[in-house]
Amino acid sequence: MVNLVLNENMKIYRRVRTWVLIGLMAAFVLFVNFIEWHSDGKEAQGDGWQSKLEQENQQWSEILKQPNLGEGDRIFYQQRIEVNNYHLKENIRSTDGTIWDGVNGSANLMIIITIFTIIIVGDSVAGEFSSGTIKLLLIRPASRSKILVSKYLSFLLFGMLLLLTLFIMSVLVNGILYGFGYMDLPLISMTADGQIVERNMVLNLWKTYMLNGVSTVMYVTMAFMISSAFRSSAMAIGFSIGALFAGNIIMEALQRFDWSKYLLFANTNLTQHLSGHPYQEGMTLSFSIGVLVIYFIVFNLISWLLFTRRDVAA
Amino acid sequence: MSNETIISLRNVTKRIGRTTIIDNLTFDVPKGEIFGFLGPNGAGKTTTIRMIVGLISITKGEVLIKGKNIKTEFEQAIRHVGAIVESPEMYKYLSGYQNLVHYARMVPGVSKERIDEVVSLVKLENRIHDKVKKYSLGMRQRLGVAQALLHRPSLLILDEPTNGLDPAGIRELRDYLRHLTRTEGITVVVSSHLLSEMELMCDRVAILQHGKLVDVMPVQHLNHGYDQEQTYLLQVEPSEQVIVALKEFDGINGVKRTQEGQVEINTMREQVPDILVMLMENKIRIYGVQMVSRSLEERFLEITGGGQIG
Repeated sequence: MVNLVLNENMKIYRRVRTWVLIGLMAAFVLFVNFIEWHSDGKEAQGDGWQSKLEQENQQWSEILKQPNLGEGDRIFYQQRIEVNNYHLKENIRSTDGTIWDGVNGSANLMIIITIFTIIIVGDSVAGEFSSGTIKLLLIRPASRSKILVSKYLSFLLFGMLLLLTLFIMSVLVNGILYGFGYMDLPLISMTADGQIVERNMVLNLWKTYMLNGVSTVMYVTMAFMISSAFRSSAMAIGFSIGALFAGNIIMEALQRFDWSKYLLFANTNLTQHLSGHPYQEGMTLSFSIGVLVIYFIVFNLISWLLFTRRDVAA
Repeated sequence: MSNETIISLRNVTKRIGRTTIIDNLTFDVPKGEIFGFLGPNGAGKTTTIRMIVGLISITKGEVLIKGKNIKTEFEQAIRHVGAIVESPEMYKYLSGYQNLVHYARMVPGVSKERIDEVVSLVKLENRIHDKVKKYSLGMRQRLGVAQALLHRPSLLILDEPTNGLDPAGIRELRDYLRHLTRTEGITVVVSSHLLSEMELMCDRVAILQHGKLVDVMPVQHLNHGYDQEQTYLLQVEPSEQVIVALKEFDGINGVKRTQEGQVEINTMREQVPDILVMLMENKIRIYGVQMVSRSLEERFLEITGGGQIG
């Protein structure tokens, strides 16, 4: 099994295009963070953070005075003000104008990880069919199931490599732009029962990565299924990336239907439960995880059935 | 050479929908033999080979390789097999060596030394670290042979191995197969639609037509049918006189002038010397006598009793 994964890795990393993708990933992080820093991060550096927080508090207090403000928004702004007050009281810098501003923002680039991994996945099974190498691959003393699993593991490893690239690049780039001075800054946030807590920023970042990673895994599994089902790279890559972008639009249109909460796209974004604004009322984290697990099993079952049962004729 | 059976097909049938593609194939191949599948395009050679190596499921019947069922004991059965299915498609973006490492990892017990050994066996030492996309067809074919032999298989299966090879390449491959069966006792199953190729390569051939086994015979029977009529081309002058003389002679069929100075006849091999003596007695000038090897189609018409060829 280890050997099979080594083989799949060799087939991924001995290709120029893989390194182009990894290079692009690094370039994106560099580019986005530089633009961000150039447009407003630069000014936020230095000691102006206290006055900025006070300014924010003032703005929000104005908003809170509005008579027709919804209950949800009222709570939201009240909490923000309390968090800001905590910063000011304890003299803990806000992330504005520090390395963390950029590093946390870069977590949004995980969608690129999803896209790039889909490209590798879409070609992995289908590419072996279109190049004919599948024939020599399947006449070895390794069952088709083992080959399928080894391919799957190699994709997860590739996704992790991209994630590591994202993490290291964003820390480096933002460290150079903002300085590494505030690495140990804590994350101040408010728990559900109104307590203000200090948390570790690095842990929080990886928590965000992992939650976003769930969505990556789901789309990758879907691409893998299409790749084994249709044996066409273009179809696997096209459909999956299409779904990635169209998913949210479709979900918005379907939001009024109760059943739409069972759809894959309604649940892929697990961070919706952190912010407390799920797609539909009453959806919980465990509900979403349950739905995702079912989709995950079904996708993999279809990949497996089609890959192990069908004839290799062409 | 022992009588051990390396591969055995029992009532192997393949149906897709209602169409029967392969119908009840049964035969055994003993150790050390080069066994050929002969048949026109669409006869089912490739389908049969793909069933033997497990790429295609078997509707009915079983394939046993060294007594192991390819369907139920796939990993044990396939480890005795090395194969090239159609043209050897390798990972073009990898070097020849990396391709071999890739396949070596999939079988237990293939050492680095074995890879080097196989590389020198197929004489690719100088180019083995080049990317496969830079290889010529002949080199790819040799790399294909290398990957098939890597794990010292008892059975080598080659599907249309000479496709796209030049005459020198075909000859090289042929000598190589002979060498393998003699020195290492490897059994070879090879398919082709070219009769001439099979004559030179195989010990026995199975003739397939419309997915059915027409006959299994030693290759000599296929080649020089002593008891069958052959076509001979005579280069003689004057041809008009020859035709008259030949038509009177017993045991000659189908006298036909193909062009000035050339006459084609059908006759038994045994008759040829007598015919020549007769022609010389008639003061006819003979410039040449040539046996016309018949095309596979004609051969098939004969063997299959004039049935239509797929």
